Amino acid sequence: MDGMDFTFTKTSSPKPGDKTYDVAIVGGGPGGLTAALYCGRYRIDTIMIEKEILSGGQMTTTEWVENYPGFEDPVLGNQLAKSMESQVQSTGVSIVRQTVTKLSLKGSIKEIQTGAGTIKARSIIISTGASARLLGIPGEETFRGKGVSYCATCDGPFYPDKTIAVVGGGNTALEESLFLAKYAGKIYLIHRRDAFRGDKIIQERIFKEDRIEIWYNTVVKAIRFEDENDRHIVFSKKEKEEKLRVDGIFIFIGMVPNNDLFKGAVDTDEEGWVITDCDMKTNVPGVFAVGDVRQKNLRQIATAVGDGALAAYSANKYLDE
Amino acid sequence: MLLNDDVKIEVRETFKDLKDKIKLIAFTQKIECHYCEENRKLAQVISELSDRIQLEIYDFQQDKEMAEKYGIDKIPALVVMGEDRDDHIRFFGMPGGYEFTSLIEAVRTVSGSQSALSEETRKYLDGLDTDIHLQVFVTPTCPYCPPAVILAHQMAQYSDHVRADMVESIEFPHLANRYNIQGVPRTVINETEYLEGAAPEAALIEKIKKALE
Repeated sequence: MDGMDFTFTKTSSPKPGDKTYDVAIVGGGPGGLTAALYCGRYRIDTIMIEKEILSGGQMTTTEWVENYPGFEDPVLGNQLAKSMESQVQSTGVSIVRQTVTKLSLKGSIKEIQTGAGTIKARSIIISTGASARLLGIPGEETFRGKGVSYCATCDGPFYPDKTIAVVGGGNTALEESLFLAKYAGKIYLIHRRDAFRGDKIIQERIFKEDRIEIWYNTVVKAIRFEDENDRHIVFSKKEKEEKLRVDGIFIFIGMVPNNDLFKGAVDTDEEGWVITDCDMKTNVPGVFAVGDVRQKNLRQIATAVGDGALAAYSANKYLDE
Repeated sequence: MLLNDDVKIEVRETFKDLKDKIKLIAFTQKIECHYCEENRKLAQVISELSDRIQLEIYDFQQDKEMAEKYGIDKIPALVVMGEDRDDHIRFFGMPGGYEFTSLIEAVRTVSGSQSALSEETRKYLDGLDTDIHLQVFVTPTCPYCPPAVILAHQMAQYSDHVRADMVESIEFPHLANRYNIQGVPRTVINETEYLEGAAPEAALIEKIKKALE
């Protein structure tokens, strides 16, 4: 915690009022923020609605970002988020900090219900992002927040010199394992396949970290944290079930789309990711989607900002028609 | 330098709409623990950003009667209160990282520049006749924590029966241990009930009701 930064965000926001915006952006991750930036520069009346205190989505729970172009040295996720947000605010776009409770996407005027009232807009850019996928095993729900975590920056500090398990094999699991190695004494990195999916450059660092022990071909079956003196997980390796003593478990096995607000109203694939064309248009006129919530092959800040720029362009064109 | 100039400018701008005068009280001690010193300096810097803020600094050991008066049982601690009205808003451990926003919000809340509680919440709090103690455990690196702290502090500001503490888990490991904190935010209500995550107002009210049963 030395050299701690002080992250400040203004939490109050203008009351939406009666006016109809040109564009409403639902969610303020990198995709939503970029769309807001471009809309602001087009001088179309834009509002962005973000539920968290700081925009940035998953950037706010990442320590370092190393693969976003333009930063020779890694940039802190929350600083990148803060800079993107300030850049948006400088164009005059309003950012409202509210949770959206309901979306009505039909017709030429769309409605967004929030705790602070209903916001009306001629077009909507959906950038609701994605959330951590659950393992779906016994004990996971019960011990959430009591040893089961999906946020390394939030909960990592609770495990100084402790033993933890990390589940997953993608970029997030590998990066967060390296972050957790700053606190934990021992990390079991558990992956169900025989090789990681994460970028080779991160794999190289994982292989060099003494505190991380890699268990391939291993599936976690249950989390048993009932007995304080015998906290353990049950895993299976080569058909055999065994137990492993750990103080906590961090799960990074991919994401699920945040699509509750528009289920059934917008076309998605079987897994619920929003289907768009290459201009970010969904099947509903005036409704666009960007970032992780879209059906796509690579979910990154770099791909989300591209989506955001395109969606703003498409929304602007739609408003002109 | 504790706060960089950009942050100072932004906070100064935000403080322009402060209404009532407020007191920011820091508790430290003669031989300052690392975060006691940082915490005191933070309070000093903040107080310089608005003429509505009056700073007081006390020694936890020597100014025992003040510590008792404000219910300070551990340091570093900050009290954010009205000029002559204690709203029972406390910070234990330095509000750094994302929690810095919670501190600025507390100043604004006490100063009366905003009240964001819903009507149902206010109605319920109006009917309280027992004291409620909310302890919101956080880590400075948790972006989901400030909303939980801000909500608890707003309730404390609104109702004389509610006291709300931010508790920085890493600086008070014995408390994190006592309340079995392994994930944040986690709100402890009157020592008996727990709320996980940055839950909506209604969920916290439900837990308060349960704690009073």
